[in-house]
Amino acid sequence: MNDHDDILIRCHELTKHYRRGDRTVTPLQALDLLVSRGEYLALMGPSGSGKTTLLNLVAGIDSPSEGKLEVCGQDLTQLSRGRLARWRAHHVGYIFQLYHLVPVLTAFENVELPLLLDDLSRRERRERVESTLALVGLDDRMHHFPRELSGGQEQRVAIARALVGSPELLVADEPTGDLDREAADAVLGLLRSLSREYGKTIVMVTHDPRAAQAADRILHLEKGRLLEQEGA
Amino acid sequence: MFAKGLRLMLLAAKQLVRHKVRTVLTLCGVASGMFLYTAVQTMQHSLDKATRMRAADTTLVVYRENRFCPETSRLPEFYEEEIRRIPGVREVIPIKVTVNNCGASLDVITFRGVPQNRLARYAPEIKIVDGAYEKWLTRDDGALVGKQLATRRGLQPGDAFEAAGVRVVVCGIIDSPLPQDNSVAYVHLAFLQQASRHGLGVVTQFNVRVNASEDLNPVAAAIDARFRSETDPTITQPEKAFLAQTAGELIDLIGFTRWIGLGAVLAVLGLIGNAVLLVVRGRVCENAVLQTVGFPGTAVGFVVLCEGVLLGLFGSGIGAGLATAFLVWRPFTFGNEGQTIALVPDASLFVNGVGLALLLGMLASLWPAWVAMRKPIVESLRT
Repeated sequence: MNDHDDILIRCHELTKHYRRGDRTVTPLQALDLLVSRGEYLALMGPSGSGKTTLLNLVAGIDSPSEGKLEVCGQDLTQLSRGRLARWRAHHVGYIFQLYHLVPVLTAFENVELPLLLDDLSRRERRERVESTLALVGLDDRMHHFPRELSGGQEQRVAIARALVGSPELLVADEPTGDLDREAADAVLGLLRSLSREYGKTIVMVTHDPRAAQAADRILHLEKGRLLEQEGA
Repeated sequence: MFAKGLRLMLLAAKQLVRHKVRTVLTLCGVASGMFLYTAVQTMQHSLDKATRMRAADTTLVVYRENRFCPETSRLPEFYEEEIRRIPGVREVIPIKVTVNNCGASLDVITFRGVPQNRLARYAPEIKIVDGAYEKWLTRDDGALVGKQLATRRGLQPGDAFEAAGVRVVVCGIIDSPLPQDNSVAYVHLAFLQQASRHGLGVVTQFNVRVNASEDLNPVAAAIDARFRSETDPTITQPEKAFLAQTAGELIDLIGFTRWIGLGAVLAVLGLIGNAVLLVVRGRVCENAVLQTVGFPGTAVGFVVLCEGVLLGLFGSGIGAGLATAFLVWRPFTFGNEGQTIALVPDASLFVNGVGLALLLGMLASLWPAWVAMRKPIVESLRT
């Protein structure tokens, strides 16, 4: 594998503007970034520094205003809305701070969501969902609704939902931000093992230095620019 | 593709089933609207069936000129033989009609007095579903009661009942493909004549069967010409035109219900539209999550559309089904000036009602579905 193949995320002069009232806001400004396959990257910085914007661009749920963005070998700026949706289904798993599980669906049904539009049989879907829930340690809670789970368990269901499509890239927006210390440790341990044992590339936004310490590399952003890089 | 659509529909169904209160309230509203719509459609359909001329119609009604109520239409019974001689006439039957209420009413009881030995020949389509025809032939005060009237009044063979000053004993329950026959009681002509103050030899009308439908107008003209100079001149019309003219007020009234039906349809449209729009507004973040995990906007829109369609489908199924069941359980007969129109529910009306509600559900959900599929993901996740 050459260097080119080793890079999963390639950002060049990546800029994002949007209008707020009559002024233009630029949360991300001419950012250059390379993320290797299997790397566990933490993004830190104050509120409004552009962390989540960068995460959303990398996850393909927002589009850059300028610059180049290539993720998993695909130039995301060239994809239509529909193709971008299918690309997300196969290449990215997104973990939210507030879990964002569908409240009327059980843990099993929430995890199954990304597979509903795949050409998998019911049995194949069931096997994948069950094994993914087992991976996050929730095989005994698969028929529980989110309201019947603790915050930590909900976040693990959300991680299972992000993992079930076997994406190369996991993006996590403050995944421990709404959890107590014990649950946060369990989630961080899970992310670490996904990186170490399963080779997943993880980009995680966090305010918590403890959480960032689990990453291979920590990037600091301020006012939409990268400040420094440090190894964990 | 089909399997994926089915999975999304199942997802929509889960959203509905697991939001019980909201769904039940919406279904109640849709069902009420479709109950009203189906009842109105049944009225329209029954009226249409009773009054619209068809190519196969061959019956004329001979009535007293310038009279509109059976109490005032009096014709000599001997006209029968004169009518029978007119070319094109196949069968004539004198009928004495007595009703309990000549005005517009929802509970009309109509007695039709006919020569007892000629009913089977004149109306072979009538079937006895309970009791015995032979018993009616031999019993002077016997009555063959239409099945709708029997159901409405809870009558069975052997029961006696009285209306409009006429007391009869039920000898049989009849079923006829002509809805009007199912809401009347056939009795002996002489018995009914004697029971009325007009006495023997006077009838209300003659029903005339002609050889072919093209004979209707020439025969009607010939009958009226024959009696023009008599003391009791006649007016002869095809049976359905006669009904349409005689029950004009009733038809105007039923015609008005068309607007009620339209109102019910608009109410259902608004109700589903409102319910689905509220669903979409309450699920902005959830829909953004679906798109984040790989649902294209069209799939999110399809789920929303399915919710509207399912609400329409089940709400109308309940409403139209209840209306049909209610009209079967409690049959109504509209009556005016002695003419009756039975409200007969029809399977096609149920199917049309459900189909219409399905379409309404789809129409009402189009805008909410569009809103759901076009909203930017990042903006939605912030809500």
